[in-house]
Amino acid sequence: MHLAHEVLIEAAPETLWRLLWDVPRMAACIPGCGEAEEVTRHQTYRARMTQKIGPISLSVPLVVEIVAAEPPGRLILSAGGRDPVVGADIAIRVTLDCAPDGAGTRLHIGAEGQVLGKLGALGHAVIQRKAEETVDEFGRRLARAARS
Amino acid sequence: MLRPFALYRPTTLPELAELLRKYGDEAALYAGGTELLLLMKEGLVRPGVLVDLKRVAGLGELAASEGTVSIGATVQHLMVERSVAVRAHCPLVAGVARHVANARVRAAGTVGGNLAFADPHSDLATLFLVFDARVSLWSGEGEREVPLDEFVRGPYETVRRDDEVLTAVRIRPAPGEGAGAYLKFGVYERPTLGVAVVLVLDAERRRVSEARLALGCVGPRPQRLGHLERRLRGTPVDELAAGRTDLTGSGMDVISAATDLHGSADYKLEMAQVFIRRALRVAAARATRQVIDARYPHTVVV
Amino acid sequence: MPAIPTPSLSSITLAVNGHRVALEVPTHALLLDVLRDRLDLKGAKRSCDMQVCGACTVLVEGTPVSACSYLAVEADGREVLTVEGLGTPDALHPLQQAFVDHGAVQCGFCTSGMLLSAKALLDEQPRPTEADVLHHLRGNLCRCTGYRKIVDAILACAAGSATAA
Repeated sequence: MHLAHEVLIEAAPETLWRLLWDVPRMAACIPGCGEAEEVTRHQTYRARMTQKIGPISLSVPLVVEIVAAEPPGRLILSAGGRDPVVGADIAIRVTLDCAPDGAGTRLHIGAEGQVLGKLGALGHAVIQRKAEETVDEFGRRLARAARS
Repeated sequence: MLRPFALYRPTTLPELAELLRKYGDEAALYAGGTELLLLMKEGLVRPGVLVDLKRVAGLGELAASEGTVSIGATVQHLMVERSVAVRAHCPLVAGVARHVANARVRAAGTVGGNLAFADPHSDLATLFLVFDARVSLWSGEGEREVPLDEFVRGPYETVRRDDEVLTAVRIRPAPGEGAGAYLKFGVYERPTLGVAVVLVLDAERRRVSEARLALGCVGPRPQRLGHLERRLRGTPVDELAAGRTDLTGSGMDVISAATDLHGSADYKLEMAQVFIRRALRVAAARATRQVIDARYPHTVVV
Repeated sequence: MPAIPTPSLSSITLAVNGHRVALEVPTHALLLDVLRDRLDLKGAKRSCDMQVCGACTVLVEGTPVSACSYLAVEADGREVLTVEGLGTPDALHPLQQAFVDHGAVQCGFCTSGMLLSAKALLDEQPRPTEADVLHHLRGNLCRCTGYRKIVDAILACAAGSATAA
């Protein structure tokens, strides 16, 4: 699974960075992502990803690690977990790049990873599509949160 | 082995609505179970309650009136294949129903279940697009009718709300004199492509006045090929019957394709062109009553 | 949300190979398991477990059914035919005799499914064409015979008898 998405945020890079670096608050912008909590500040977090793909419901407890942080430009996270009910193993790496764009910020979201297990029976196109919808909505919610 | 569940068998729609309201997410609608039971065996869905639709009054009817064929949600593929009304008004639908999966699945599986599951490879979901299909959705709050094209949102995803049940699908055979064909290409029960075509000829029966084309198994959901349909208007039918239709500039490049176990995206797009040409050839030959030999490996020609 | 009612046993009564059988089965029980484990009818096999291979084919009211994906409770009040009800070692059903005569059995794993699918076809269409037989058997897979002898056996049986059932 491989995604790239760009969204224009009406806020300066530093403002956006403050939102992104507040990982639980950033995680709240990801549709389906809840129960976000800090384990070690700016290092390890926990969250739960809940999604419905067709008739199948997924609930994955995630461990999120900060891989690299270069304020105010770049944040790289990795997230992994397993839904034992459905038998799905998820491992993703997300790169967030902020570049100034006029008075705002151009945020580039890159995501790479895999979903292994029985869910693969649906076909990776279905999973990719769901991931794309999730990232699109994430960008929209971030834009809204950064403006306020 | 299945995980335990409770089974309810309502006999009316209001009773059904009450069960869905009561059990919400825990309830799964069940008729033939040809997809549901498989998902349950894999543990991918784990409903605590199954609500059997087979005894609900009014869902199992098949009727034709004023050029519209109405197929109830719990009508099995086998019934569609054998229906006098379908054979008279829409023989292509009866023919395609005959080739869904295998004889056991056809006897148990229902049209409603097939459409509601929204498998991108569904033959009927592809074919019904060329017959302007509309599905009826019923809930305790009321009823609505949605074009099939809007009903299916994406792979395994429809606009049906959890409190709604698909009660019927209505199709309208194309007006006027014409002919259709459905080609399914794939190995065993893994269809790589499904192409549905209906051609309506002009008064002299020399040119296409209207073309309808749908492609299944390629994109996230079955799709009508509007660009190509418009391009085909006015085309001499003999050109189509010769099987050498030039498809460049027909919008083939904007068809979305996804790789899956049935073929790569590139392969599907390449083969879509081949099979669209073949489907047009078969339909054109039928429209002009020409006899052709249309046998292709791993292909069902309806 | 109310508690899901505890799944319980259902009483079902069915006719299996002509014999009336009354059973208590869990609602989630599959017909294949009830036939094999409760009634000791081992002819139907679990193979693909997803309705593709046909090794579990039985007839319910004359209609072929994948017993691996058919709830036992759906058979309540119905007639079920398994290969054990088709004929006996001393009195083979004409289809079984035809399979023997034509060498249509090798490992035997697909055979019960093939026989019952064939019976359903011949009951419906006493004089099928070869194309009809091939179409009808598309859901029954065989890894041994290459299908030719199975098809020949079915056609011979159809041709050889006035009433195929």
